[in-house]
Amino acid sequence: MSRQSFVIIGNGPAANQAAESLRSQSSDSKITMLSKDSFRGYLPHLLPDFVSGSIGEESLYFRPHAYYKEKNIFLRLGQKAVGIDFSKRRIFLEHREVISFDGLIIATGGKPRIPEYYQLFEDLMLTLKTPQDAKLWISKLKSVDSILMLGGDLTSLSLTRALLKMGKTIQFIINEDSFWPIPYSEEIYKAVTQRLESKGVQVVHCNKIRRVTQIDENLIEVDTNTCTVRTGAIGAFFGLVPDVRFLVRSGLDIDRGILVDEFLKTRFEDVFAVGDCAQVYHPALRNYWVSIGYQNAATLGKIAASNLLGSHLEALVAPESILDVGGVKVNTSWWTEF
Amino acid sequence: MQEGLWNRGETISQTQNWKSGVSYSCDPADFSYMKVNVPCQDACPALTNIPSYIRALYEEKFATSYEINRMVNLLPGTLGRICSRPCELKCRHGEAGLGEPVNICHIKRAASDFRSLGHSYMTPRFAPVGKTVAIVGSGPAGLAAAHDLAMMGFDVTILEACEEPGGMLRYGIPEFRLPRIILSEEIDNILRLGISMKAGVRVGVDLTLESIMSNYDATLIAAGCYEPMELEIPGEDLLGVYTGLNFVMDVAKGFDVRIGKKVLVIGAGFTAFDCSRLALRLGAEDVTLCIRGLEEDLRVTTDEIVEAKREGIRIQSLLLSKGVHGSGHVKGVEFFRTRPVERSSGSRRTVEPILGSEFVLEADSVILAIGQAPQRIPGPGKQNDRGVIIADFSNFRSTAPNLYLAGDYLTGPSTVIESISSGRRAAGKIAEDLLGKKLKEWVVRIKDAKLTDRQRSWDLIPRVEIPTVLPVEDRFQSKGFVEVETGFLPEQAHDESKRCYLCYLHYEIDVNKCIYCRYCIDNAPRDCIKLVNDIFTDETGAISGYLETTQWTEVSAVVIDNSQCVRCGECVRVCPVDCISVSRMDLVERFLIEETEA
Repeated sequence: MSRQSFVIIGNGPAANQAAESLRSQSSDSKITMLSKDSFRGYLPHLLPDFVSGSIGEESLYFRPHAYYKEKNIFLRLGQKAVGIDFSKRRIFLEHREVISFDGLIIATGGKPRIPEYYQLFEDLMLTLKTPQDAKLWISKLKSVDSILMLGGDLTSLSLTRALLKMGKTIQFIINEDSFWPIPYSEEIYKAVTQRLESKGVQVVHCNKIRRVTQIDENLIEVDTNTCTVRTGAIGAFFGLVPDVRFLVRSGLDIDRGILVDEFLKTRFEDVFAVGDCAQVYHPALRNYWVSIGYQNAATLGKIAASNLLGSHLEALVAPESILDVGGVKVNTSWWTEF
Repeated sequence: MQEGLWNRGETISQTQNWKSGVSYSCDPADFSYMKVNVPCQDACPALTNIPSYIRALYEEKFATSYEINRMVNLLPGTLGRICSRPCELKCRHGEAGLGEPVNICHIKRAASDFRSLGHSYMTPRFAPVGKTVAIVGSGPAGLAAAHDLAMMGFDVTILEACEEPGGMLRYGIPEFRLPRIILSEEIDNILRLGISMKAGVRVGVDLTLESIMSNYDATLIAAGCYEPMELEIPGEDLLGVYTGLNFVMDVAKGFDVRIGKKVLVIGAGFTAFDCSRLALRLGAEDVTLCIRGLEEDLRVTTDEIVEAKREGIRIQSLLLSKGVHGSGHVKGVEFFRTRPVERSSGSRRTVEPILGSEFVLEADSVILAIGQAPQRIPGPGKQNDRGVIIADFSNFRSTAPNLYLAGDYLTGPSTVIESISSGRRAAGKIAEDLLGKKLKEWVVRIKDAKLTDRQRSWDLIPRVEIPTVLPVEDRFQSKGFVEVETGFLPEQAHDESKRCYLCYLHYEIDVNKCIYCRYCIDNAPRDCIKLVNDIFTDETGAISGYLETTQWTEVSAVVIDNSQCVRCGECVRVCPVDCISVSRMDLVERFLIEETEA
């Protein structure tokens, strides 16, 4: 019998933990990790600290190249999966290569979400998901002192905290959709506003951006339905969307992310999904949700690997409002930690 | 290779005047070939010759491009705005690794937008046949049937319940998607064939079906679907709960519709999207579209989803309504969360409710846009359990003599292009039944072709998306009647037209002349030229597959797999012995009677 070939799509915390767990439980299998990014796996929650200069770039990465060699894990960076044929168990890569698999764990993570309305202004907005994004922020912050934050997700608040430490002036437009999966309410808006303002952030009360105009390299004018804001840079923080567009119409059930059962199994045999790209039903929320936070992702990666090898471990959903995000017990009320 | 007016519907006289080099085929193998190799045309219910009209537009022959469309789909300006675009889902430019589908629909619109004001319509006319046909309903199916029957010499009368013709086109599609001036011009163009239009006549109320049938040689019911479906859940009768169809029609008729600030729309089709976007234009501030399944299963175009979201509409998936809450007036809807369930291969995804997942979304108004069914028209013949007359899908005949059904009235809700196709096919069947002979047929026209001037670099042009009114707030001016899609500029349409592979071109290697030099294979942009040991055919005789080989000793032929070929022409250019021929294969409709006037 030929040795089994496992493929992991992704290179984040969930993917790396899945690879490690597979190797520890299956010493002779072939393990391939596919990453569309050309850089090693990193810890996204540290990006705001990297932007502010609190930590160096090397601290972002959690595995040296030697690790993969030592574990006999075939890490293929800069190689993008563009389709999967689940019936034939084949993955199509952008450069036309086709890879077969016996077992598959999809851990493609998320990418910054820009609501359709704001996509018109996307070119004038900065996001913060990758080390490259962080470097853009670092470069921009050398020449601007004021930043307008749009959104309200976890990253926006972490970055706001980091920017305040740097002495930057922050204006904030709170977007209700950034609080998914929590039903947004006036109470949340007031609570977030109060916390932001107590730290010196100016909350701009408006519900529509009408126009965004770049006046010069370091000045952007934002017309809202209530006022005009002048700022040096705009950050867009509306949460993440699972990076699964290439799987649409593949046969998987995809809502915001890939729907999986409590064992992280997709509709297809020996195919699992974990991390920011997977969605599981949460009885307390009465909704599907994406479990966030790198430690959760790592835990899920471990469970998926075990289940792929024949275990039947259940991924317990976290209680509402309590999840581990970068060591901080928050999730559905992350702004309370601000 | 120039696109000429000979691309429009063919007549016998035109055929006889053609110079040599053109042949017609009714061979099933050629039809099978067209089905596989020109997938856009095959996907169009009306079988619009898409490569042909795109090529005409590329050559800036806008009127020709419009006419190639009009001969089969009758309403190019209308369809160029609201078609469901099944063709684009099958466009070979959208296959894995080839990019995005050609923006076929909006090229059609460009042909309509840019034709000259003096553009003259080219409908062939035939001698009167002395037969009368009544058509109930002036929606897309009724208009299409009327057009074809009038063209073939029948005396046609349309009976329409509403004040103006158009059916769902006029009363079911909001003006921000389809300006009425465009629709009216195209309807007038159909009616000018001498069709008698009687508006405000409700068949079954003002006039019995039997009385119509006794006065005409044939009667066609193409009355659409105007009976809104119900969810059959508690609270549906509360004030503030609308059916999607009635809501859209009330707005179209100019009634004062008040819906409040927070609106829930339940449904997943174009009507649900239209209701959502109309609600915004009526002043709603928070509109949520609630669907049972997943967004990827929505039966609307991606553009529609993007534009709806851009306007501020939220889509909540995996929701199943359990009951409408309120006392007198609606206050909200209680939903179950759903989960997708296992489905057999090829079937649609279904969902089931998750027990214990109930929750309530508040609302000032609820719009139920979950579909509609045909309304009962009392009359003879076999009927379904709702008392609606039914007919054979294949020949449109009811069990009553000379009574036919077409369009949504026959099939249930479908798309505009499906209704047009249905109306035209029903007209053909009625004509055949009344005259005892076939008046038209589909054939494959084969003609020698030269290489096009397509360049390989054109394959890399990104898809040109249709421009829309921005900022979004400007769409809500003028009572929300502003057309959202503004149409291509001429240069945009021209660029997009370059992207079409022109799949009607057929490349073939003459194995008797081929010297097996492999230049063509070395220059092919993809795996489209094959060394084969054997060729397989289907039951029609069309090629269905190849037994490829890499062993020179086993090679019996070098073949071009036209289903993979992107018609770049590189093989022809590099062939040292000129053994690759190019022909053009068009699936066209040919009349079997003599034209009498132009």
